[in-house]
Amino acid sequence: MTDRKTNGMLLQRRTLLKGAASGAVLLAAPAILTRRAAAQGMDTSSFENAGIDWRQAEGASITIGVIPAGYFQNLEAVLPAFSELTGVNARLEMTPPGQIRQKAVLDLSSKTGTWASHAADPMYYDLYVANGWVDALDGYLGDAKLTGQEWFDYEDILEGWRGATSVDGKPYGIPYDGEATIQVYRKDVYDEAGLKPAETLKEYAANAAKVHSPDSRLWGAALRGFKGAGQNMYIYPSIFRAFGGEWFDGDRMVVNSEEAIAALDWYVKLLNGYAPPGVENWNWPDIADAFGQGTLGSYIDAHSSAAVIANPEKSKVVGKIGFARWPKGPSGKRVTSIWNWSFPINAALSEKDKAATWLFIQWAASKETQAATSYAFDGAYKRSGVNRTSLWQDEKFTGELSRVGDNFIEATQQSFTEDTDVDWRPRLPQWPAVGETMATAIQASLVGQASVKAALDEAQARIDGILKG
Amino acid sequence: MARNPHQAARLRRGIVLYAVVGLLLFVWAFPIFWAVVVSLKSETEVLAYPPNIIFEPTVRNYRDALVGGFSILPSFATSFIISGLTTVLTIMLAVPCAYAFARLRLRGKKALGFYTLVTQMVPPVGLVIPYFLILNRVGWLDTYQGMVVVYLTFSLPFAIWLMVSYMEDIPCEMEEAAFLDKANRFQALWHVVLPQVRGGIAVTVIFVFLNAWNEFLFAVQLGGNDVRPVTVAMYNFVSVEQTLWAKLSAAALIAMLPMIIIGFAAQRQIVKGLTVGAVKGGGRR
Repeated sequence: MTDRKTNGMLLQRRTLLKGAASGAVLLAAPAILTRRAAAQGMDTSSFENAGIDWRQAEGASITIGVIPAGYFQNLEAVLPAFSELTGVNARLEMTPPGQIRQKAVLDLSSKTGTWASHAADPMYYDLYVANGWVDALDGYLGDAKLTGQEWFDYEDILEGWRGATSVDGKPYGIPYDGEATIQVYRKDVYDEAGLKPAETLKEYAANAAKVHSPDSRLWGAALRGFKGAGQNMYIYPSIFRAFGGEWFDGDRMVVNSEEAIAALDWYVKLLNGYAPPGVENWNWPDIADAFGQGTLGSYIDAHSSAAVIANPEKSKVVGKIGFARWPKGPSGKRVTSIWNWSFPINAALSEKDKAATWLFIQWAASKETQAATSYAFDGAYKRSGVNRTSLWQDEKFTGELSRVGDNFIEATQQSFTEDTDVDWRPRLPQWPAVGETMATAIQASLVGQASVKAALDEAQARIDGILKG
Repeated sequence: MARNPHQAARLRRGIVLYAVVGLLLFVWAFPIFWAVVVSLKSETEVLAYPPNIIFEPTVRNYRDALVGGFSILPSFATSFIISGLTTVLTIMLAVPCAYAFARLRLRGKKALGFYTLVTQMVPPVGLVIPYFLILNRVGWLDTYQGMVVVYLTFSLPFAIWLMVSYMEDIPCEMEEAAFLDKANRFQALWHVVLPQVRGGIAVTVIFVFLNAWNEFLFAVQLGGNDVRPVTVAMYNFVSVEQTLWAKLSAAALIAMLPMIIIGFAAQRQIVKGLTVGAVKGGGRR
């Protein structure tokens, strides 16, 4: 930590000399006021078991773009241990979630190598790979000089996440943190109405109808209504797949099939019938806030939202929460999301920086660091999106978490192992544009701008255009 | 108590006027008032419905925003440096430029004036990529000088055009008198013109500073860990996990403070500056 501080100051001094002399006094100010999360120690002895030379990239400096979120703040707090272990000066750059994708694409496409790695959206890998912007990681994983294969145990990382960060069977990113979407409900409300968590989507709507009583400020259910590839287009794909929808007919992407119409119709009817007014502008923090205030009977969203609704400082429903897997659709499938933030390696880096970046990724995704940033973290926030099957079976991890509510660990675990679907969202290099097009269509039908069929037909026409190039 | 009808009418008009003004002011100021209220509540209290009118105010959010793990103070300093340098450089360059546009007879003046305006027509989003590449090439990404140069690209044209209109409103006769007393152009500008456009300069300073202070797009894409203005830092309270409304409000109010102070300090100048052009009805010649 001291190292980084001094470095930062030196850097600023240098900038200062280069810059206008008149600003000299002012320029030194931020260095004095340096702010970062409180560093904490970490036992690094087990890293010796990796059997690799951790100091092979000593002296390298790398910056990793991440978003301001608890799970990265915890990583930042233990980061000094990485620098101590490797002699690599690594720092995290917090960028708002709405901008990190653009900034990463800007950096990668211009080959500037500003970010050695960044928290990547799995849906972007097809784009990255099609352009050769990131390195395939099989070479790194297979290199005994770079990777302690047995110690790192890549196969221990959740299978669905490995799939999501691979393209054509080759890994391009290593998942660090992630989530599954699960059903969250008010135990007390459901008990009083004699309800059980829904087994099918039909039941889910029926449950919502039964507990729905806006006059006493309790709405039946809510899902993300906000327009965006990572918002409403994050929830709809699960419904679409559960209705038996297929994104591709041969080579052609199809979004207006019968299943698609039925799925969107279910979503629109559920939200228009039983969700609070304004739900078309709700993203998941809004949903979790509403649930925490006791105004929602149920919602389906990320398991990690439990941190908000089970936090006594923010929530009034602590101790009244139950969890279950996604309800089944007409196809008999339950389909959860596959979301994770993973780290790729920027192909524009020098060999030494690539090695340093790989060491960082290996360190961050290792069992040890995953534990140090979750249950073993010395702070109020302990992350719940760990990347490893072994941790999800470890009582030290699950013990703490199971307190958030009924069936939480079981529902999340089963969602990871049984409900993930590699084709959950359509994977293609044009995803950013396709995702936004779908998001617009979903919201247009939600607010009644267009009928479900008309909205999807229009999306189909647009997507045909996008894919034609 | 009988007053004459004329006075009564005036009183009525006054009441109506104040009621309308009060209403408009209320609508305009409500979001800020609400932010103040939210910033004094706990996170649970913020979401309570119906909102609690009576609650125990806390300064915890301000403490967290100022000295907590996410302190915005370093970013505050950063914003100050960037906005300050941008404003100083802009005024230093814009005043002579505007004077030249307003007074000098030079070839291609119209074309130059139009060119200055054209730079404002490009949507900033379209400029992010070239700026990113250029700054990267010269090693100025995430530096103060890089950020200030980029901010000059939009503040300078704006300031020049604003200043031109103020300069044109000053009668040429005053300068001519100065020339008769053997003043040169610069002396005329400094001693005669500048004192006349003080109000205009004040208005320009405010707008330039305000634009730089509120800028987000370039700040997030071209800045980084070293140069991280307050607009970007505020996002620490809006994570993918949750929005910490109370802390965000506290941070936003703190970020607003310098603008409010500058606004009050320069209030008289601004009012003067805003009315000068209106009364004289000056235009481009």
